[in-house]
Amino acid sequence: MDLFLQYLANGLVIGAFYALSALGLTLIFGLMRVVNFAHGEFYMLGGVLGWFVTAHLGLNFFLGLALVAATMATLGWLVDRFLIERVRGQGEEPGILLTIGLSIFLVNATLLVVGPAPMKVAGAFAEGPVFIGPIIVTKLRLLAVAVGAAAILAAHLLIRRTRLGRAMRATFQDPMAASLAGIRTKHVYAATFALGCTLAALSGMLLASVYSAQASIGGLVSLKSFVVVILGGMGSFAGAVAGGLLLGIAEAMWGGYVATGMVDVIGFVLVILILLFRPQGIFSARAERA
Amino acid sequence: MTAMLVSASAAAPAGVVPTDRAGPVLVVDGLKVAYGNATALHGVSLEVHAGETVALIGANGAGKSTTLRAISGLLKARTGTITFEGRSIANLAPDRIVAAGIAHCPEERHVWPGMTVEENISLGAYLCRSKAEVQRRVGMAFHRFPRLRERARQLAGTLSGGEQQMLAIARALMSEPRLLMLDEPSLGLSPKMAEEVFEVVRSINAHGVTVLLVEQNIHNALSVASRAYVVETGRIMAGRRSEDLRGDPDLLRAYLGG
Repeated sequence: MDLFLQYLANGLVIGAFYALSALGLTLIFGLMRVVNFAHGEFYMLGGVLGWFVTAHLGLNFFLGLALVAATMATLGWLVDRFLIERVRGQGEEPGILLTIGLSIFLVNATLLVVGPAPMKVAGAFAEGPVFIGPIIVTKLRLLAVAVGAAAILAAHLLIRRTRLGRAMRATFQDPMAASLAGIRTKHVYAATFALGCTLAALSGMLLASVYSAQASIGGLVSLKSFVVVILGGMGSFAGAVAGGLLLGIAEAMWGGYVATGMVDVIGFVLVILILLFRPQGIFSARAERA
Repeated sequence: MTAMLVSASAAAPAGVVPTDRAGPVLVVDGLKVAYGNATALHGVSLEVHAGETVALIGANGAGKSTTLRAISGLLKARTGTITFEGRSIANLAPDRIVAAGIAHCPEERHVWPGMTVEENISLGAYLCRSKAEVQRRVGMAFHRFPRLRERARQLAGTLSGGEQQMLAIARALMSEPRLLMLDEPSLGLSPKMAEEVFEVVRSINAHGVTVLLVEQNIHNALSVASRAYVVETGRIMAGRRSEDLRGDPDLLRAYLGG
């Protein structure tokens, strides 16, 4: 039983990062209809930039986090305005090709600059275990989960409560009506892409403080984020969170009880099951725009 | 006040002279619009004067909606000028045109189905930064459309067609436009509901908002508008006072197949 609780806790920790990363993707994929294959590379950049500002420049972890968020938001904005903008409204294929190209560029640019070795983000404080009943979690993991949860909450409030958030929802439900109401839809698209990138990068930096960042990690992260988005339902906020936690727990259980070597398979098994039995995802009421 | 009484009781001028009180607010001259290689408008020219209700009538695909979409900035003009209150607005972004005082209520309503009625209405005043002012306008919208107040918390997608049309009009009015462009407001509505919508249009116009209306139902259009332009294959074929058009069945038949 204690072992089960420990696996569960490990699963929830990993799941929180999956949720944060998938949230970025669900905004871009579910709402903007851009199948963003560079998502994992934005995550990777978050980790590498996080390493650069904390371990290399020696900045405080939280200051570094803010700096990475601002940098990645800017990058996301520019990518949308100068690249995604050109293929908007032309179906999904041009966007897929574009983001695959972008992901190849980002991976190789990163390899060129920092090389293939794993890089560790300097954490906010020294590693140390925390005992919660029978469960052991490190302080860093707890902090990373807390920051992740705060980022999820902030994104939720941004979309639900702010003027920009209302403009986003209006634009994604009916872009023409949004234009006619005076909303600059170009800015809304760019802001959404920037937000998606930032969430991915934050997730990447948080996870790189627990494990490490690596130029080649992006592909796997993209795939897992797609898994989570499909589990939870496209564009669904609660779905991304639940899907992320579900994937994290499933992987932890599989790794703990069955075989550690094949952990990455479990997500795809879940996706196949979901697509067979509930193709709209766990949280979507119906299959929208399918 | 006296002047208005006089002009209302004076004999109506004949011909194409608009029923005008203050000169043209909107002047479209030689407007050409193309979708890719297909030219949709071959030089449309029209005028709308302050306080008027003007209709664009014509068969499906004649270019009526395209004209509105070009005026509101959704489509780019290839050539030609669009002047609103003396200022060129051709090829401005749609949000600048809303800010200039033109609201466009599009064909098929285009309400945001996953948002509540109240959210739909208040987003119509997106460019207004003052919360109190938006609240005041929402209050006015609910006063004008009591049915929408009853349904304030309901998702717009669950409303009937007529209610959605009222919501679309209420949303368009939230920017407090001086020119309201309505595209097929009676589309898909029962005759009774359509009559209600046109009653609303009359009352909006009576409150001083100039209206440019696109309508396939000629009878309805001519009953609301003081003047109408007949549009065919991207050109203006005629511009007449409504009663003259009604009295000219040959013209109506020639262009509209009615």
